[in-house]
This record gives sequence, C-alpha cells and structure tokens, in this order.
Amino acid sequence: MRRVVITGLGAVTSLGRSRETTWYAMLEGRDGLGPLTRLHLPAEPAQLAGQIAWSEPRVKRQTLCETWSRVALAEALDGWRPALEGPRMGVFQGAGTSGLPIPEAYLAALRDGLPAPRMAEAAYQSPCTVTDALAAVVGAEGPRSTIMNACSSSLLALGQAWERIAGGELDLAIAGGAESLCTMTWGGFSSLKAMDPLPSRPFSRDRAGLNLGEAAVQFLLEPLEQAQARGAVIFAEVLGYGASLDAHHPTAPHPEGDGARRAMAQALEMGRLDASEVDLVSAHGTATPANDGAECKAIRAALGAAAEAVSVTSSKSQFGHTLGAAGAAGAMVAALALRDQVVSPTLRLEEPDPDCDLDCTPKLAKERALRAALVNAFAFGGNNVSLALKRWEGR
Amino acid sequence: MTEIVVTGLGLVLPCGDGVEAARTSLASGVARFTELPADLGEGRGAVCSGFNPAGHIPPMQLRRLDRCSRFAWVAAAQAFDDAGLDPKAGGGERTAIAAATMTGGSDATEAFLRPYFERGPAGASPLIFPNCVANAAAGHLALAFGLKGPSTTQLEREASGFAALDQAARWLRTGFCDVALVVGLDGLFPMLSTVCGAAGLLARHGDPEADSGRGFLCGEGAAALVLERRDDATARGARLRARLGALAQRAATRPSDRASALADAVAEACPRQPQRRIGGANGHPRLDQLETALHASRSDWPAPLHPKLLWGELSGSGAQLLAAGLLESADSVLVTGPSSFGGQWALRWDGVKA
Repeated sequence: MRRVVITGLGAVTSLGRSRETTWYAMLEGRDGLGPLTRLHLPAEPAQLAGQIAWSEPRVKRQTLCETWSRVALAEALDGWRPALEGPRMGVFQGAGTSGLPIPEAYLAALRDGLPAPRMAEAAYQSPCTVTDALAAVVGAEGPRSTIMNACSSSLLALGQAWERIAGGELDLAIAGGAESLCTMTWGGFSSLKAMDPLPSRPFSRDRAGLNLGEAAVQFLLEPLEQAQARGAVIFAEVLGYGASLDAHHPTAPHPEGDGARRAMAQALEMGRLDASEVDLVSAHGTATPANDGAECKAIRAALGAAAEAVSVTSSKSQFGHTLGAAGAAGAMVAALALRDQVVSPTLRLEEPDPDCDLDCTPKLAKERALRAALVNAFAFGGNNVSLALKRWEGR
Repeated sequence: MTEIVVTGLGLVLPCGDGVEAARTSLASGVARFTELPADLGEGRGAVCSGFNPAGHIPPMQLRRLDRCSRFAWVAAAQAFDDAGLDPKAGGGERTAIAAATMTGGSDATEAFLRPYFERGPAGASPLIFPNCVANAAAGHLALAFGLKGPSTTQLEREASGFAALDQAARWLRTGFCDVALVVGLDGLFPMLSTVCGAAGLLARHGDPEADSGRGFLCGEGAAALVLERRDDATARGARLRARLGALAQRAATRPSDRASALADAVAEACPRQPQRRIGGANGHPRLDQLETALHASRSDWPAPLHPKLLWGELSGSGAQLLAAGLLESADSVLVTGPSSFGGQWALRWDGVKA
C-alpha cells in the first residue's frame, strides 16, 4: 500500500471564498450564519443559513455547486497543471441534492401559473455533472465516482480516492463535495422538526437542531513519493477510512452510536492507528438532540480511555450543515487543525449536555499538540463514514 | 487477485419478477413498452405493472417505502434467497450494500415538493422526506435484511450499476466485508418524462430501436446481485453463478473520445472474443453510436443483446445489464455500459451458470 497525502485543498463556504479565509474566520470564532435569502420561504420558522453570500460569474447550465467546485478546485491546484497520464487521474465527488434549481422552479411556475423553465436543462444538472466538469479541468480520464450517500457522501468520496491511490491505481485524485440550499432540504428538515430557528448549539444541553449551509470543498490526494518529488505542500496524510450502516432507523442514529463506533474502529484499524494517538475528532455534530449524544457515546466506545484527552469540534456551529459537502468540510477542518496544531471552536457551547461529556472545544480555538484525527460524517439511512488523518511531520 | 463470484441474483423488471421472467423476456425480444398511467408520467414507458409487493414487504414497512425501494427490497430478497444467505441470522455486520440509481429519491422529491409548493410547510410530509435522498433504498434494505457493513449509492448516469459493482468488489478484496449486495434501482415518476421529453431524449414515434435515432423510453425496476469472495462461497457450498473476470472504466474528457474510451475499457476487460454479449444501446444516438462503433471494430464477435430496448432506459441504472449477462450459460460474457457523459464501462463474466 502506498502512503497517501493531501497536497491541495480549496474551499468556498459562508465564511470565505477560500480555504484560508474560511479557516482563519473559524479560528477567530466568527459565525457564518446569516439571513436566508437564497430561498423565499417566509412561512418557515427557521430563517438562518450558512449561505454563500458572494456571487460568481454565472455560466449557462452551471449549477451553483459546479461553479463553487470549480473555484475550490482552482484553489486546491494553486496553479499546478498536473502533467500526469489521463487514466491515472480520477475524480470522486459526494453530493446531497446538488440543489434542485430547475425542478423547483418548474413546480413554482406551475403553482403561480407562470411559464415553465426549460426542463431540458434539468437533464444536464445531475450531480454527475460536477464530477465530469472537474475531470475536464485536469484532463482526468480515470475513474469518476459520484456518491449519493446524503450527508456522508463527500467523506466516502475521500475514502474511495484514498483506496485507489493507496492501491496503486491512481497518481492523483480530486475528491470532495458541494451543496447549495434548496427548498426540498429546507422544507424536509423543517418537517422533521430538525431545524433550529436560532444559531445551532452542538453538544449543548439546550441544542434544538441544525442550521443548513452551503459549501464546496475540494482536495487533491496523491502518493507521498510523487508529492515529495514535485515539492508539493503537504497538508496531512490520509491513513484510511471506515464505513458502516446502523440498520436501526431511516433518519435517527442508533442511540448508542453503534454504527458510528464501528466506522471509527474500522478507520483506526485500516489506518493502523492506536486510539491513544487520536487527539482530534472533527465531529458530525449536527446539534440535533439525537445525533450529538449518540456520537459522543460512539467516540467514547471507539477510543476507550483515550476519549478523555481527545478534542472534539463541530464546524456546523460556524457554517451550518452542508449536507453532501459536510464530510469534506469536516475533513478540511481536521487537516488544517493538524497542520496548524490548533482546534477550531464549537460556537455557542455554554452548557454541555451530560451526554456529550467530552472536550468539545467550547467557543474558543484551542492550541494543542495534534498527532492524528478522525473525521465523522453520518447520514440518513443510518450511513456512517469515518476518515483517519495524520499530521504530516516531514517524513 | 482475490476472485469475486456472484452467488445470488434477483430481478424486478417490466417483464415480471424473478430470473425466469427476465430470461424469457430477453430470449423473446419482445419490448414491454405501454402507455404510462397518469400517476407515472406522460407518453410511453416500461412499467413494472405486475409488481405486487404484498407477501414480500410487511404492510407497516410498505407504507414507508418509495416506489424504487419496493422494487429493490423484493429483488434483494430474491438475491439473498438465491444465494442461500440470511444476513439477519448472522453476518449482517460483514455485509455491504452498493446501490446504483439514476432516479432514486426523485419520485419522493416530486411527491414531497408538489404539496409543499401548494401549501407551504403545512404540505410537507415528514414521512416522505427521508425517501428524498438517493440512498434511501440502501437504508431501507439495511433495516429489512439487517445489513450493517459499508454502504454506497453510486450515481454514474446509465452505468451506475457498474460503478456500484466496482466498489463492492473492492470492499470484498480489501476485507471490508464478506458479502456485498449490489442493487440497481429506478422508479418512474411524472417529472421524469417531463424532463426527458423536454430534452428531446424520448422516442416519439415507435419503440426504441438500436441505431434508429428515435430516442429511448424510460423504464423501471431493480436488479440485485450477491457477491462474495470465491474461497468463502466455495467453503460454504454456495452455487457460483459466475466469476467476475474483469471490470474496466475509461473516461473521456471530450465527447468525440467516448467511443475510444469504451473500446479501451473493452480491450482491458475482455481481450479475447466472448461467447455472449450484452450491450447498453437504448435507442438514443448518444449511446447507440458508442455500441455501433464498438461492434464495427469487433465484427467477428457475437452481436450484443440490448436489454434497454425491451425494458427501457434506467430500470436498474446498468445493473439490469449486469444481471442480463448472467441469465444464460456461457464461458464468458461481455457486458458494456456506455454512458452519455462520464465513464465508459466494460465487464466480463466468466463461467456463467444459468
């Protein structure tokens, strides 16, 4: 198995149009939540979103997810034009809905008696379109994978990319995910009473649900030897991943976090990582009453005594739950934390829930030694993914 | 490399449920297109009109399932039964799901959004919303059969099933799981025919026919395959339906290179003449031209059967092609999965036992 490292990372979030602006805003404890304007849903009680506020030049047929993903990939490439064989490069993308701009506009037009939009456009706005577009940017002719595992999609995309580079099939993988707000997800989570009209409070005793957000996060993964040979900046090493199903409930997590524990244990095993080496968990941390307690129990079960010393953080307190992009966003937070040896805070964590009795990094960033991290992403259908990352120390 | 075998097969298709119905349909060459009922769309398509989940799916679960999840449930039950496996009785934590779909979640999304746009939050159904994600079927199957291993739902347009099988084989080879359920699933819904019709993709005059340029018609259904490592399957005395000989994907960044990408995938997956061929032509020039170019370059090879011309496009997102390759005995079967945009796929089954 080849060692796999992260050599590129780009992001567009509600906190910034780049990786570093997002990261420094997180460390400063800035809040990326603001008024919902992307959608006009005045009857919905929740009106706060981690919405990407700046506009990009629009190109015909491009969804917001594609536009933002192109921006994130450009940042990840940082001017590098890979001169690798096309079949040795692959693209792995996770998506939730990728937004549903045309179908939603169509139904709204039907309701309002207005001319329907060109439905033909919808045929060209599949989530696969983002995968194909990013492949074209670098001339990738190898595997293309679009994963639709809802909120764990983009973390599994990183896992699949790691698998193929570690196994020697590929020399470069673009992996990540994107999500934009749409009426379906807003109305859906609202119907489940899973959204908090106030800014979310992960791990808090009074947590009352999530805020939805938007993001695109793209990674470059390549074999260590190649990265060193070309003098690439290395953010972190990817050690492996784990994946599991709860087989418990269509939307609720297993109350003891059984599936999440198995995913984390598998990531540790695959990464040949001892639990005592894990200093950070970039948590799923949605702030729903069901998730956070179950996740903390799972972390305790997976790490054992080492859980007492681990730092846990939830980026969803800062730019919301970005669904299909959430796993990649969580991985970005972990990779940058390992690079800079600092944990980004969980905002608004005033009074921890007794069920969340771990160090969940309340309100302020925390400098500390970080050797390795687990990244968690869980999804509807009881779908769990965990990714193991290690600090790059130059060897 | 660790050998992967197919030990179970299940099918729900417009031609009926089960392997025998599919085999008879493919042998007859009779297309299954009819006028769509109003609740499934406009125009013609291939509907699983004889599908009856009663007796297969408990009533309390049935009401929670969207259309394609029902197909997937029954196809998966057939496949596990065919394989002689009951994951609920043991082994569920070591059983993976690799699902494939082009439409999964879409019928529920339309069903959720129509009343929402009419009545606002009062029209939102918390029962429907969980089915709006493409991986809803995988979650339902996990609950139904006690599957707790890794899971993915792959969306790769017409070749999604190939991508799902690829991931399942990887998980088996790396020891992530001991058994993998590969299931392709699609269900018809009204907006599908609206979108495909508006894009000029649908055949308007007559049924789809290879190289006719007419376009395709939509279909629905599910195809499920149970995969295991050969050593494990042999050790438990399972019947081996086929061995995964090879699987290859090539992608082209320019449309003009798609035919050569498919040819490259075939060259890797099937360097010698196969005994049988299953192709992915659907009546639309975009895919038919890829298959035609391939056939012209291998004119001494057997002519392919094209199941999508009988059962419609979608109807399992490519997994129905993989299953069709297992319906007749053969030493080797080449299955091609052309795609309208992304990766082009080719797979070879070896030692198929019908």
